[in-house]
Amino acid sequence: MKLKSHHIYLFTLKNGKKKLGHGDNPEHALKILSYRLTPEEMAEITTDPPEIIRQPDLQKHVKDLG
Amino acid sequence: MTEKKILFVDLGEFGGLLGKHGPGAIDAMWQDHGLCLLRTILHEAGIQTDIASTRLCKDWNEFWPNLFGYDMIIMNVRSYRFGPAKMIARAFKDMNPNGIVLVGGMHASVAPEEMEAVEEFDHICKGPGEKAIVDLVKNHGDFPKMFDGPESARMEDWPRMDRMLWPKPLPPSPQAPTYPLEASCGWGPAPVATTITSRVCPFSCSFCNEISYIKPMERRSVESVIDEFNWLDAEYGPLGSTVMHDSLFFSQPQWLKEFIEKYPRRARRPWPYWAAARADLVRKWPDLFEALVRETNWTTVSIGFESGSDKVLDVLNKECTAEDNAFAIDLLNDIGDDLEAKGKQRPRFWANIMFAVPGESREDAFRTMKMWRRMKDPIPTLAYYAPYAGSALGYQLMAEGKSLMEKDDHQRYAGQPKVKGVDYRFYDDLLRGRYEREIAETPFP
Repeated sequence: MKLKSHHIYLFTLKNGKKKLGHGDNPEHALKILSYRLTPEEMAEITTDPPEIIRQPDLQKHVKDLG
Repeated sequence: MTEKKILFVDLGEFGGLLGKHGPGAIDAMWQDHGLCLLRTILHEAGIQTDIASTRLCKDWNEFWPNLFGYDMIIMNVRSYRFGPAKMIARAFKDMNPNGIVLVGGMHASVAPEEMEAVEEFDHICKGPGEKAIVDLVKNHGDFPKMFDGPESARMEDWPRMDRMLWPKPLPPSPQAPTYPLEASCGWGPAPVATTITSRVCPFSCSFCNEISYIKPMERRSVESVIDEFNWLDAEYGPLGSTVMHDSLFFSQPQWLKEFIEKYPRRARRPWPYWAAARADLVRKWPDLFEALVRETNWTTVSIGFESGSDKVLDVLNKECTAEDNAFAIDLLNDIGDDLEAKGKQRPRFWANIMFAVPGESREDAFRTMKMWRRMKDPIPTLAYYAPYAGSALGYQLMAEGKSLMEKDDHQRYAGQPKVKGVDYRFYDDLLRGRYEREIAETPFP
């Protein structure tokens, strides 16, 4: 059993904004995002490698979210 | 120099300490540990303070006169009390134009920009206040408007709270006869002694994220926790039950093993208690969980089950599975059956359950209902997902323009729309029992 294995990712959107995701790896994080986003919203996420952020740094990135 | 007249303001629902709150409105009657700790520190440093509580008034007109004649007010601002805190600061400045308003609390950490924008807040402590409060009160002019409170490394560094510094509830409040102990909210018999043995859940659920804002601290020793209960029992008791308000009590196995060994022997009585766990940790350490329930009288087990759907648990970054939830439910059910057969009290879940999570389908919600029904005699606490500032998913939904929550209103309970695109009518109907057939046909886990 795994405990607390998820990373927090910042994906880049086509408009330059960022989207938070979480998961074991970027593919898993995108899968989890797809549970709540529409296909159109998912299509706005670029294929650029996402940045991994530290939990305590979350607030630094809030202004960039979209 | 004359002494400053300082007033702590306890924020909460009108009438909450007068017995005029709705049934189950536990937030209205709980006492505030942060406020009491800071008042204790100030009084031990020779700085006297008074206290006024909105919960001891029936409305604003009754409350306002409390603010006259003070040089300084201090408020612990949680997100769901941000609106009232702003109103009070403005009224205080109107009545006392030279008065100083000091604020801190969780909202300063999770939404500092909102706090800083309030002109009437003179100084805002972001983070813990216990090491800053004495200097701040004595020399507030030396502090900028927003500053970081220094961390304490160990909970043992805090003084033992003087609970007589809590606002005193008045009849017919059920808290009046138990003061400074607390009334029962259904978890265990009154009088109730509440405490904290550890701070901060280390997990990163996307609806919470407290670990982003509070640094971990060294847990209190087992002896210290038990000795405080013994002291409260001797001084104000006899205690009926206790509450350990830790975000995650069921952690640190060595500490828990020591608690199992010492609580039944060192405590004046092994009072039944409420404490929180996670389903995945129950599955990881089932023997430890069972020993705690059986040997230490853990009668109310709080678990954030949240959902019976793996998909929804993933959206919430719970890092638990529906299988974990089922395991914990079955284990406590089995322990309860055995204890009942022996004529003992069945332990109950205080079951945190969340609906209306973005991305949740009707079938997901039916799974959650099925999960709830698998528990024997639980005490359910139901929420509709709320996108709080400070949480990863909350920030993201706000950025997507999907939050329906007002900045001044952060309550989480079911019955109020919180996110665009969620069919709240379905959830209201679900909780009214309109989907019994669908629930029966849905599997869990």
